[in-house]
Amino acid sequence: MFVARSIAADHKDLIHDVSYDFHGRRMATCSSDQSVKVWDKSESGEWHCTASWKTHSGSVWRVTWAHPEFGQVLASCSFDRTAAVWEEIVGESNDKQRGQSHWIKRTTLVDSRTSVTDVKFAPKHMGLMLTTCSADGVVRVYEAPDVMNLSQWSLQHEISCKLSCSCISWNPSSSRAHPPMIAVGSDDSNVMYGGKVQIYEYNDNTRKYAKAETLMTVTDAVHDIAFSPNLGRSFHVLAIATKDVRIFKLVPLRKESSSTGPTKFEVQIVAQFDNHNSQVWRVSWNITSTLLASSGDDGCVRLWKANYMDNWKCTGILKGDGSPVNGSSGQPGAMNTMVGSAVQTSQNALNALTPPPSLGLTDTAALTPPPPPPPPSLGLTDTAALTPPPPPPPSLGLTDTAALTPPPSLGLTDTVCCAHAKSLACGKAQQARPST
Amino acid sequence: MEKMSRVTTALGSSAISGRTMFCHLDAPANAISVCRDATQVVVAGRNIFKIYGLEEEQFVEKLNLRVGRKPSLNFSCADVMWHQMEENLLATAATNGAVVTWNLGKPSRNKQDQLFTEHKRTVNKVCFHPTEVYMLLSGSQDGYMKCFDLRKKESVSTFSGQSESVRDVQFSMKDYFTFAASFENGNVQLWDIRRPDRYERMFTAHTGPVFCCDWHPDDRGWLATGGRDKMVKVWDMTTNRAKEIYCVQTIASVARVKWRPERKWHLATCSMMVDHNIYVWDIRRPFIPFATFEEHKDVTTGIVWRHQHDPYFLLSGSKDSTLYQHMFKDASRPVDRANPEGLCFGLFGDLAFAAKESLISGDANRKPYPGGDRRYPIFFFKKPDLTEQFAHVSSALSVFESSLESKRMDWFVKTARLYLLSGKSFAELCDHNAKVAKELNRPQVSTTWTMLRIMFSDPANLSTPGPNHIGKLGTLPLMNSFSMKEMGMGTESRLDRSKGESRQDNIHLELGNSLINNICPTAENEETEGSEGQAEYMFGDAELDDDDLYSMEHDNQAAEEQEYTLPQEAFPLRHEIMDNPLAPEHLQQDKADSPQASGNEAEVMCLTPIESFSLISISQPLFSPHLPAPFFCPVVREMLSHYAEQGDVQMAVSVLIVLGDRIRKEIDDLTQEHWYMSYIDLLQRFELWNVSNEVIKLSTCSAITCLNQTSTTLHVNCSNCKRPMSNRGWICDRCHQCASVCAVCHHVVKGLFVWCQGCSHGGHLEHVKNWLKSSSHCPAGCGHLCEYT
Repeated sequence: MFVARSIAADHKDLIHDVSYDFHGRRMATCSSDQSVKVWDKSESGEWHCTASWKTHSGSVWRVTWAHPEFGQVLASCSFDRTAAVWEEIVGESNDKQRGQSHWIKRTTLVDSRTSVTDVKFAPKHMGLMLTTCSADGVVRVYEAPDVMNLSQWSLQHEISCKLSCSCISWNPSSSRAHPPMIAVGSDDSNVMYGGKVQIYEYNDNTRKYAKAETLMTVTDAVHDIAFSPNLGRSFHVLAIATKDVRIFKLVPLRKESSSTGPTKFEVQIVAQFDNHNSQVWRVSWNITSTLLASSGDDGCVRLWKANYMDNWKCTGILKGDGSPVNGSSGQPGAMNTMVGSAVQTSQNALNALTPPPSLGLTDTAALTPPPPPPPPSLGLTDTAALTPPPPPPPSLGLTDTAALTPPPSLGLTDTVCCAHAKSLACGKAQQARPST
Repeated sequence: MEKMSRVTTALGSSAISGRTMFCHLDAPANAISVCRDATQVVVAGRNIFKIYGLEEEQFVEKLNLRVGRKPSLNFSCADVMWHQMEENLLATAATNGAVVTWNLGKPSRNKQDQLFTEHKRTVNKVCFHPTEVYMLLSGSQDGYMKCFDLRKKESVSTFSGQSESVRDVQFSMKDYFTFAASFENGNVQLWDIRRPDRYERMFTAHTGPVFCCDWHPDDRGWLATGGRDKMVKVWDMTTNRAKEIYCVQTIASVARVKWRPERKWHLATCSMMVDHNIYVWDIRRPFIPFATFEEHKDVTTGIVWRHQHDPYFLLSGSKDSTLYQHMFKDASRPVDRANPEGLCFGLFGDLAFAAKESLISGDANRKPYPGGDRRYPIFFFKKPDLTEQFAHVSSALSVFESSLESKRMDWFVKTARLYLLSGKSFAELCDHNAKVAKELNRPQVSTTWTMLRIMFSDPANLSTPGPNHIGKLGTLPLMNSFSMKEMGMGTESRLDRSKGESRQDNIHLELGNSLINNICPTAENEETEGSEGQAEYMFGDAELDDDDLYSMEHDNQAAEEQEYTLPQEAFPLRHEIMDNPLAPEHLQQDKADSPQASGNEAEVMCLTPIESFSLISISQPLFSPHLPAPFFCPVVREMLSHYAEQGDVQMAVSVLIVLGDRIRKEIDDLTQEHWYMSYIDLLQRFELWNVSNEVIKLSTCSAITCLNQTSTTLHVNCSNCKRPMSNRGWICDRCHQCASVCAVCHHVVKGLFVWCQGCSHGGHLEHVKNWLKSSSHCPAGCGHLCEYT
């Protein structure tokens, strides 16, 4: 399913972050060896290192791309307590001939007194803004008032989170109904300090960020946090890497027009997986936010996907070398205890991967244990496949009708039950009929 | 002999115990030093000079050496050292240039022993010879180093560095006569104590001042130096030329460096600015500190290992007026908090993953610690401590590319490219899009399009006369053949099964025909007979409901009541339909007739137009559909929301555009705008600029359409005279030449004109492309190296 393409990164120490650019054709890596490397994808799909330079005087924790509208711009943050903004310079013909590009430092943000643990550009619609968070628990929001001048950044907000921060994520929603929102994760390991994920929201009236929510159920150290791409949703989905993978849904509650306070949310935990059996370090969403990837201390990448009912399931496990994990391959000790489930899940993964990739419902087909006889091919496939074994004749049309209604998001089980009830009822009807 | 003493002291060290603790000093400390048996520590500063006892739980002040009503400047210490051989002997370097020795054995309160005032400026460092009792070395800001014999009143020799201020002097552990000195100009000098005339060796160790140096305790000839350039370098001094063998980059200038006892590769550093932490580095892994002590609130000025053979206790003094004892087990380990993995989803569903190699290979923590110090007798070689393992690590980077077509985002790109959003009739658009979706193997989306077409096609026809109606339907065959083929195939098997049932129903139908006027019997017949897969597929069940309805209406209502309540549930959308104010009149009439059956009725009604419509396309219509399109709006609205929530904003926006006014009013502007923005953002990610532009153009949200209206000014310079063109045509006002001439073919360019923003020459896209294949210079001959980005 997945082909692993190994890249000789040649970083001299741990790589802490990998980041794709907006168009998915460039990649940046950063490492403890204090350097950042930029990789470009060639026509043939090979990745070539086109730049590698020393960025900081400490471990570089994160690297992130700005929206290309602002140019080819990277931001990095480091143990050396700074964050830096870099811009690629075009026109160095010498470098170009060697296939190398040149990056120059546009600014250094030195406000933090401790290690800067994460840096993120705000969604494009907010302009050119940059957020950093640091180990002393301060989130800083910078803005470049003039997008053409990357060397001038003004510190707009300082949010004190009280807890050592490890990661931040902007809510990417561009809807005007959603005020700018940042989720901050803390790697403080003291369970007593309560919720390790805080959500801050910009308040237009006070012009400040105010805490909107603390996810009290997340009490262990959080290492990564990611809002899913919003894509027109009315709610927000947040993935959290802590001792396990968690997915939260934040549904904004209807706000009274008079109230000026932060939005209230209905917080639902959608999924929680401890399959990594260890610390989870990273989570990442795909572009349509249908797939979540997580990586943990077990050295595996796990892929998670929701079915039509918002049930999240593991659809794949990738080892570092790209081989799918199964019972036979040499697994770390921790895995052995759960070989059974691993096999099962990878089987699941297989199933889930075979049907065509249309969003949403298709996958439900994969969920029914035995592949049902080829269902009527007109798109209602999925729903049809869900009905209990060969539908009794009277209920035949029912599944179809169900499919006529908008793709059943929630009510599907109901529909199925109904189909059953209906068939019963119809049976009755038939019994009753002769008497007429 | 030396080895022996070391062993005994080491044995003694096992008795050292304690915990991380601190005490407040009265004033900031400049330097600290411990006595040999690690029971006492002396703290010296500008306004402090005290001895503390190191006890199990706390520091206890033993002695205040700063006596007298008005202490002289001699008490103001820049550095202090406790003699490692002679328990009562201390030396301090005073800021006024004096070198003072103190004898704790003196009975008087003032313990001052000797006073040497030979330096002209601040003395930065004093150093006792490690094995010689009476030999003391000093290094001063005035650039001189002096060697004192404590039995004499003045210095025995003076060493002139011939360069700038001396920051540190250290006797070699290996060589009895050698000492190293570091200077503010970045140099390090090696001297023989017997030859004061010139240094033995000099090398430039750092750019900027070298603040400190330290000889490796295991007599290896290694010298560590730290400088303002934030680096710690380890030099091998045994070779002819000092060779840099390790370099550690710290985050601030390095003020002190101290090798960790019993650990060959470890050294501790602290900084004199900005950074208050103490770091212990493994020089083999120069990027991440092995351990960090983060207790101090201000700059750490002095660090010393508590005992020369105990690696677990570190003492430190700071400008924040505290004295700390750090336990190694309480140190924070940055590497534990450092993220060993990076993970990122690419745009095309590929996944970049970087992870610590040991994690991937699965043998984490199995590598033995390579640097175990085995040179010492076994009895004090402790069991390898897992937490002390800090081998060099690296990460493996790989990109997982999905080989499966489906996992990539191709479907999105293709859909975006192939969908038609405007320019044809509604039905054609729907059909086209359904076909596109079908070809991309997205049956559900395809069906949705088909149904939209059915629901919304020609609502105007309700009032139009027959011929026109049929004429309009001329567009349908395309869809018909399509859906027949698709649906008929799949349902055949089910058809067979249901046929019997259907026939039976037909009889009922026939019976009810005459009574029920607003349903077309012929149509029903055709449909239920299963001759048309499509009809059967969609309405088989509805048919049955109809039957139930009829029988209820004309037969035993009461007996069958229960029956009707159940089937209703099969239709999740019943509520919307019921609530819809636009429900047609006749339906309400029916309601009045048989209130119990209203639910069923609604179902029937909601389906009727579709069914009859599809029938119309097949057979001749005998009646026209009853329901206006708005009837379906709630359903469609819900469907769009569903697609959006599922992450398929493409569908939501495409339908929104194709349906246009039919649905627009149903969805609030904010949501629409949100969808548009999200979709446009996605399109731009995939570099589908044309599609994105089309979407912007077709959108009706003011906030979206205005996206196209920013930055629309184009400033054009004449390619001949390089002056700005007036906005009248392409003839330059000044040089009266046509400005838009292709530099390659010299014809006027119509259509796509591409030009270099550097020299403003350009021409036909094709011509310039071809030209650039052979040359990167401007085709106009202006000599410019053109760049087209």
